Amino acid sequence: MPPETVLQKWYTLSLALIRHTPTYSPPVASRALAYLGVTAYEAIASSSPKLQSLAGQLQELKPLPPREAGKTYDEVVVLDAALAAMMHDLFSNTGPSGQQAIHHLEEELKAKAVSTDSTPETIARSEAYGQAIAAHLAAWSHEDGGAVVENMGFPWSYELKKGPEHWAPTNPLSRQQQVPLLPDWGKNRSFAMPAGASCELPPPYPYSEDPSSAFYKDALETYQIGKTLTPEQKAIAFFWIDDAMASPTPAGHWVSILMQIAEHDHLTLERQVDSLARLGVAMADAFIGCWHEKYRYDLVRPMTYIRRVIAADWTPFLLTPPFPEYPSGHSTQSGAAAAVLAAIFGDPYPFSDNTRERDGAIPRSFNGFFDASKEASISRLYGGIHFRAALERGFEQGKCIGAYAIALKTWR
Amino acid sequence: MIAIATAQASDGLIVPLFEDVTAISGVTSVYKGDWQYMVGGGVAAFDCNGDQFPDIALAGGEGAASLFMNKSTKGGALSFERFESGVELNHVTGIYPIDIDGDGITDLVILRVGEIVLMRGLGQCRFERANEAWHFASTNAWWTSFSATWEKDAKWPTLAFGAYINPNSEDNPWGSCTENQLFRPNEDGNGFTQPVALTPSYCALSMLFTDWNRSGTPSLRVSNDREYYEGGQEQLWHVEAHQEPRLYTEAEGWKFLKIWGMGIASTVFPNELYPSYFLTSMSDNKLQVLNGAKPETPPAPLYKDLAYDRGAIAYRPYTGGDLKPSTAWHAQFEDMNNDGYFDLFIAKGNVDRMPDFASKDPSNLLMQRPDGHFQEVGDVAGLARFATARGAALADFNLDGKMDIVVVNRRENAAVWQNITPNAGHFIDIMLHQSGPNRDAIGAWIEVDDGHHITRREITIGGGHAGGSLGWRHFGVDSATSVKMRTIWPDGQADDWETYASDAYYFVQRGQSAQPWSPTAGQ
Repeated sequence: MPPETVLQKWYTLSLALIRHTPTYSPPVASRALAYLGVTAYEAIASSSPKLQSLAGQLQELKPLPPREAGKTYDEVVVLDAALAAMMHDLFSNTGPSGQQAIHHLEEELKAKAVSTDSTPETIARSEAYGQAIAAHLAAWSHEDGGAVVENMGFPWSYELKKGPEHWAPTNPLSRQQQVPLLPDWGKNRSFAMPAGASCELPPPYPYSEDPSSAFYKDALETYQIGKTLTPEQKAIAFFWIDDAMASPTPAGHWVSILMQIAEHDHLTLERQVDSLARLGVAMADAFIGCWHEKYRYDLVRPMTYIRRVIAADWTPFLLTPPFPEYPSGHSTQSGAAAAVLAAIFGDPYPFSDNTRERDGAIPRSFNGFFDASKEASISRLYGGIHFRAALERGFEQGKCIGAYAIALKTWR
Repeated sequence: MIAIATAQASDGLIVPLFEDVTAISGVTSVYKGDWQYMVGGGVAAFDCNGDQFPDIALAGGEGAASLFMNKSTKGGALSFERFESGVELNHVTGIYPIDIDGDGITDLVILRVGEIVLMRGLGQCRFERANEAWHFASTNAWWTSFSATWEKDAKWPTLAFGAYINPNSEDNPWGSCTENQLFRPNEDGNGFTQPVALTPSYCALSMLFTDWNRSGTPSLRVSNDREYYEGGQEQLWHVEAHQEPRLYTEAEGWKFLKIWGMGIASTVFPNELYPSYFLTSMSDNKLQVLNGAKPETPPAPLYKDLAYDRGAIAYRPYTGGDLKPSTAWHAQFEDMNNDGYFDLFIAKGNVDRMPDFASKDPSNLLMQRPDGHFQEVGDVAGLARFATARGAALADFNLDGKMDIVVVNRRENAAVWQNITPNAGHFIDIMLHQSGPNRDAIGAWIEVDDGHHITRREITIGGGHAGGSLGWRHFGVDSATSVKMRTIWPDGQADDWETYASDAYYFVQRGQSAQPWSPTAGQ
């Protein structure tokens, strides 16, 4: 079995598990995809004359275990063993179906991935080495602040900030969601960027209920667009919905796009792992940076403001997620993703995206990564869950964060 | 002593008290198996030998299903005896009692990982396979839910079955929900036609035919497990005689809702006309109350969720120290203290080693207060146990006027609790019968006026989690020594209100005066 197939199968399963593991909210999913990307990359880079390790470039990542000098390895087995071990670690909390799916794929690939030319000693050595890579990276991951997610990410206790400008619960039907999701995620150790505060944003518009204020005008735009949504705007909002437990989340959506491109354009293995690692790192950093700002400003959601100030009966097209508004998470994600992918593949770079087809969304075509990412960003305005300022500034923050992943030295 | 003292609570609530009598009850049944038995585990409560004491049949998963004949005496300790009845099939996930052929003997619907088996009741708790005799052609699937109704003028019931994921999709089960099916009676009046697909199907773990809008024609509610479907949601089907079933739409008022749907329980709040529905899930549960219903206009199926407001959200364990979210399965409304308000029992237990959800997850007993709010009493009532529960049945097993509980547990023995509440209110129990088909008057409504409020109850088959009850319908009536009661039969004909003494059991045969019943000597 070619290594590209091994990579594709593990990634496909990871996207399914993200969707079906209850703790996997979007930030948590981005973290997993970063570690999975780094694992695949290091497994291939450990023997590739073209690639160099990310140790010393990613925060606190120490050099990976060396290979035995003069010994032969089955590179497909190394990759498979590394990914299998990392999947077990990242999804140790998934349910019985997920555990079973990991086990089944592990068994299938063990049987099919091995080259017929490899001796039992080579296979054993390769498997052990792949597992050693994963163990090293898993130990690194356990210290980043995001490894343990309790109560599906909602803190056991949390004091809401007082004042009309601050976030208030938007789902009165959920006991869990009376506090916001993952308020400390912005303090996590980042990957390529130095820290969560590396790409800080200016404050949002000053809170005001004055109709002449910028804040009010932004809110009025969200309200008015929401009242007159066209079928195309609804389709865009639905296409990029990327909710937890109903999709692979924004990070998974962009990984899915990359996987489609990899298959369509027959990318080499080195290009695949390079782009998966950079994309994963950029999006994980984007959520850390975005969350850092969300909880710095703790801004009220449109649903709360509009109902209080403009129209008491207004309902957004999408469900409002349970955390502060500014900046837009999907905008930060998509800004970072587009920056990285454009740096790797160029832009424009026409592609089609069928990620959401099985959920009833018609595939969409784009001229390039920024075209797609801007649509992902504006989808949150159509969905009624953000003000425009959060989109535009979130997008800029994403590009800023993506630059750190672009700067990683991967090719020798 | 603490529990008994608590049972006489100072705030007016009669806290029911239960004794765990599992060890002496004679019930030994384990719901066994791994992945294909992570859901299911139902129990049916019904009388199969004509003594009017509810017997029980329990799913066994990979092990054999079992039937226990009720040997309890009136007011005595709960006592059951295993009986070789013919139900001892393996791969059973759920069991529902229903008189399919209208012969006055209760039959059984047995849900399995594999083929559904319809079992004809022979009397004296014996059953025989009837698939072929009734022209019932079941496919092999992972069957997990069931409900039945008698459509207008039909001599046999219409049966709805819900399937879960493809049991052969162990490597990638997501998005593999298999087809739910609707079996209608054939024109010959001796069985069923080929099934109609209820598609799209979204891994249905509970189904219930219910006349949600009091139109006289029940619709089919389906609660689906979001863990496995793609593009799915909760469903409500129009099922109208001689027409293809069709889904209620957003334009009709049906709202998109995704939950880990596992069980449906229905109730009618005091003085209300329309049923409300409790939907079990993981973490937050749902209590759906019809929104804006007015007597003068036909309601739309627009529900508001009052679980949080009413104290019925039950999203995490209330005792035991495990603060992670709960996993809820069977739910059932019954009046457990006879104060005139239906209470809510919820069977709970981790799916299977899911570390993000509570592993010590006790079942709930939520007492309904006069203002419609619910109060948890599972711990002080003696029900707090940390087995991994699935199905359950609430029934008055020793006919002492108080509702007892049997719970099916995964990988360990079922549990039996006897209701020993010392100061429960008065009660009245009703069993409906009519001649011809639909002997047990499924689709009828019973209304009881205890002088404070009118309690309404829809007679249904289905819902819960993989099991249901058939037989006495229990009403607590608080301090009333007599009540007014009437029946609205499935065709809409309403009896006159009549007065009955409480603390008694009544057979209500259509067209006749209700007859009191009591156990014969030795029972």
